[in-house]
Amino acid sequence: MNMLPKDIDSRRIWDEVIEDFKYTDFLFVAFGNSGENILNPDALALVWELTEKFENIPHVDEVISVTTMNRMDSKDGFLEVDDLMPQKHLTDEEVISISNYLKNNSNISSRILSKEGDYINIVLRPKNDNDFPGLVAAVYDITAPYQHQFEFHFGGQPHLTGAIPELIKTETQQLMLLGLFIMAAILLINLRSIPAVGMVLSVIFLSALSMMGFMGWVYHLTQTPRFSFSMVNTSMPIVLLTIANSDGVHIISRFFREARKHKDVKKALTMTMNQLMLPVFLTSLTTTAAFLTMVSSPISTMTGYGATIGFGIMWAWVLSSTYLPAVINLKKWDMNNAAIKQPSILEKLIHRFGRSLLNYPKQVFLTGFLIVAVSSIGIWYINVEVNIINLFKPGHEIRESTLFLDREMAGSMNLILKVEGDLKDPEVLNKMIDIQDYISAFPTVNTTFSIADVIKEMHKSIMDNDPAYETIPDTRGKINNLFTMYSMSGDPDDFEALVDYEYETGLITAMMQSVSTKEIVIMADQIDVYIEEMGTEVLTTETSGMMMFLKDFTTLIVQSSINSILLSIVIILFITWIFFRHWKFGLLSVIPLTSAVILNFGLMGWFGIDLSHFTALLTSIIIGVGVDFAIHYISEFIYYSKNGIGADEISRRVVDDVGYPILLDVFSNMGFGALIASSLIPLVHMGGLMIFAMISTSLGTLTILASLMEINKHNLIKLGNG
Amino acid sequence: MANMKKLFILIMIMSWSFGLTGNELVQKMEDRITPNDSKVDMVMTLTNKKGKSRSSSLRSITKDDGAKQIIWFLSPADDKGVSFLKIEHDDKDDEMRMWLPAFKKIRRISAKKRSDSFMGSDMSYEDMSTRQLDEFNFKILGDEIFQGVPCHLLESKPKEHIRTEYSRHITWVDSTLFIPLKEESYDKTGKLLKEKYFTYKVIKKYHILTEVHVTNIQKNHSTTLKFENIELDRGVEDSFFHERYLKRLPK
Repeated sequence: MNMLPKDIDSRRIWDEVIEDFKYTDFLFVAFGNSGENILNPDALALVWELTEKFENIPHVDEVISVTTMNRMDSKDGFLEVDDLMPQKHLTDEEVISISNYLKNNSNISSRILSKEGDYINIVLRPKNDNDFPGLVAAVYDITAPYQHQFEFHFGGQPHLTGAIPELIKTETQQLMLLGLFIMAAILLINLRSIPAVGMVLSVIFLSALSMMGFMGWVYHLTQTPRFSFSMVNTSMPIVLLTIANSDGVHIISRFFREARKHKDVKKALTMTMNQLMLPVFLTSLTTTAAFLTMVSSPISTMTGYGATIGFGIMWAWVLSSTYLPAVINLKKWDMNNAAIKQPSILEKLIHRFGRSLLNYPKQVFLTGFLIVAVSSIGIWYINVEVNIINLFKPGHEIRESTLFLDREMAGSMNLILKVEGDLKDPEVLNKMIDIQDYISAFPTVNTTFSIADVIKEMHKSIMDNDPAYETIPDTRGKINNLFTMYSMSGDPDDFEALVDYEYETGLITAMMQSVSTKEIVIMADQIDVYIEEMGTEVLTTETSGMMMFLKDFTTLIVQSSINSILLSIVIILFITWIFFRHWKFGLLSVIPLTSAVILNFGLMGWFGIDLSHFTALLTSIIIGVGVDFAIHYISEFIYYSKNGIGADEISRRVVDDVGYPILLDVFSNMGFGALIASSLIPLVHMGGLMIFAMISTSLGTLTILASLMEINKHNLIKLGNG
Repeated sequence: MANMKKLFILIMIMSWSFGLTGNELVQKMEDRITPNDSKVDMVMTLTNKKGKSRSSSLRSITKDDGAKQIIWFLSPADDKGVSFLKIEHDDKDDEMRMWLPAFKKIRRISAKKRSDSFMGSDMSYEDMSTRQLDEFNFKILGDEIFQGVPCHLLESKPKEHIRTEYSRHITWVDSTLFIPLKEESYDKTGKLLKEKYFTYKVIKKYHILTEVHVTNIQKNHSTTLKFENIELDRGVEDSFFHERYLKRLPK
C-alpha cells in the first residue's frame, strides 16, 4: 500500500478506514476433514491452541475464532453476554451448546463454519500490510505440526500477497538457472568456443552482481523503501541479463568476424572496438535513459527499479568496453580454430535471410506495417486483471485453497463500504440493512455484517429472543439504550471494527468469493448507483478493500509504464538524433521498438492476455532490447556509408554484420522462455513476453527497419556521409 | 533533609512491619474502617488511542463497600435515565439489573466474564472487586517510596482455579494507611496490561477515593473517574437497593 500515492482515492479511503477502525483484510486458516463433524472437543481444543499461538504472532492484531467470539443469550429475562467457548477443554454438553448457538445464528456461523460443518475457520486480522511474508511464514510454522491430523486451507489477500514473493523467488531462481544453462548452450553452439562463452557470461554475472550490490548499498545508506527488493523487482535480473548479454554477444561475434578477415587478434580487436564503441555506448545510454524515466513514476518502488537497472546497464557498458576487450586480448586465440575460421549456422542463416529479404523491401515493409496496424486494434480489448488468484494455474495449492474457502466458507475476499452518518439514527441503520441486503443478493457474496446486525441481534435478545424484533428499533433512544446495556455486559472493543468512537462512521463488510477485477469494479459501481438511487441524505458511502486498491495500483502501473514507454521513445529519439546527426536516423531508431510495443499490447488484447502490473512492467524489456538492435543496425549502416560502400551492397553487408549478433542475442535470451514452465502465471507471462520481445524486436529491426532503410538507402547514405 | 526524613520513616516502618506477610497486609487493608454507605457524583472520561474523549456523569449510591450499588446516568443526554443496580452475593452470581427508559423495561444482565469492561471503561468487574484471601497468593516484594509515601509492594497472584484475565498484580500499598496508591496488572503472558492510580481525600474519619485513573497500556486507552459531592453515612437502608428505585433519580 505504501507504494501508492496518498492522494489516490482507494489509498485515501483505505488509510481512513485503518485509522478509524482496524486493518480490514483478513487471513483465513480453515481446517477439518471432509465429512467429519468439526464441532468436537478435540478439534475445538486445537482451535483454542492455534488461536493462542496466532495471537502471539507480532504481525497479528486480532484473531477471530470460536474461542474469541461472544454469545448473547436471553434466558429467563436475563441478557447474558459470555464467551462462546469458555475454556479449552469442553464437555460434550458444552460442545452441543456451542453447536446449537451457531445453528441459530447463521450470521456468525457462516463466518467460522463450513456449510457442511466439517471445517472450521480461524480469521487473523493483521496489524498492517508491512510484512505479509513474515505473517504467512509464522502461520505455516504454527500449523505445520497439525497438518497430518487435519486438512488445512489458507486464504485471503494477506495470505496471497504474503505467500507469492517466496514462491516467485524459488521458482525464478530455479527457472533462471535453467534459462542461463540454455543461454550458455546456445552461445556455445554458435560461438563454438568455451572461453568466448565464458567471457560473455562473465560480463553478465559481474553486471548483475554490481547492480544488486548497488541496490543493497543505496538501501543500506538511505534506508529508502524505494530501493527495497519487492515482488515487482523480481524481473530486474532477467531484464539486465538480457540487455548485458547483447553487448557481449555483439563484441565477441564481431571480433570473430574481424579475426576471420584479418587473422590478427590485435587488429581484429581494434576494428571491432572502433566499430562498436559508439553503438555499444549509445545502446547503453538510451536504455539507461529509458529506465531512468521510471524515476518520475508515482509508484515509489519504480524509482528504485529504474535507477538500479540504469546503473546495471551502464556498468555492463563499462565492462563491455574495458574488461571484455582486455580479456579477449589476453587470450591466445587459435586463428585456425573453426570458431574463427568458419561462419556459424546462424551466420549462414542470416546471410540467406538478408538476401531474400532485401530483394522485396517494399512488400516486407508493407507486410510488417499491416501486422502492426492490425494488432494495434487489439489494444482496445486489453483487460486489466489484478485478482491475485489468477496468478496461479488451476491445481496449484494456493488457488485450490482459495477456491475451497470461496465454496465452503464465507469466502476469501472482502469488500468494505465505509458509511458516514449518525449511526444511532434508525433511518441510517435501516439504510445500512437495505444496502447489505442489496450486496448480499450478488451471487458471489456469501455474507455481510455491520453494526446494524449487532443492533438487530441485541434488539431480539432484549425482547426475549422474539424473532419479530430482529429489527432496528424505531427510536434513537432505544438504540442508545442497547449500546449502554451492552457496555455493562460486553466489551466495547467488540464494536471497534464495526463503528468508530463517535458512532459517526461505520463499516459494512461483504465476505465474498474471489472474483475478477472487472467484476469487483462492476459490483462497486452498481452499489454506488443503488445508493444514489436511494436518494438518501442521511448517509454517505465509499468503497474500499484490497481489490479496489489493487485495481488503482494496476491502473497506475499501466499508466506509469505507458508514460515511461512514450517518454523513453522521445528520449531515445533525441539521443540518437544527436549522435547520428540527423532526425531521420533518430526516427528510424525508434521504429522497431515502437512497432514491438504496439504489437505487444495489441496481441495481448487480441489473445486475451490480461494486463497486470507484471505484464506492464515487462514491456521495459522490449524498450531495452528493441533500441539496441536498431542502434546497432543504423550505426553499421552509417559506418559503411562513411567507408564508401555503395547502395547496391550496403544493406546486405549491414544485415550480414548486425543480423548475426542480433539473432544470436535473440536465440540465447530465449533460454529465459524456460519461465513458461512455471506454476505461477506472472512467470509464465514473463517467459512468454521474453520470447515475444526477442522475436518482435529482432524482426522489427531486420524486416521493417531494414526494408525501410533499403527503400530510402540513397538518401540515407548521403545523410550518413554528411 | 527531606530525603533523610523519608528514609528515616521508611526504616521505621520497615522495622515495625518486619515479618508482615502478604496475607497479613491484605487483612489490614480489609480491616480499614470504611463508611457504611456513600452517595457520590462521578464524572467518567474515556480517552482512546487517538486522543478522542467521551465523558459521562453518573450518580451512585453504595453500601457495604460497594456490595450494593445503584448508578443513574445523568449525561450525555442519550443516556440520561438509564440506571443500574448491582447486588453482590457470596454464594451465587451477582445480581445486576438495568432500567432502559426507551424500552420502559428492566432487564437483568449478567457479567459472567469478570474480565468484561465496566460501563465501557478500562476497568473490569474484576478490577472493581476485592481480592479474597482464599483466591490469591499474596506476597510482599519489598518497600518503596511512591510520590513521597512509603509503600509496601504487594504481589497478588491468582490461584489456579480462578477465572481471571491477569497473571499477577503489583500494588503500592501505603504502609501506614493500608490503602492502594498505584497498581500494575499483568496479562496472562506476563506483559503489563493496566496501570492504575488512586487519589484519596480524608472526609470525616475516612480516606475516601476521589479519583481513579486507569490506563490500558496495550490498547492505549484510558479512563479517569472523578468523584464529587461525596456524602457519607447517610443511613441508606438495604431496601433502597431495589429495582423500583432505578426509575427515580435521587436528589
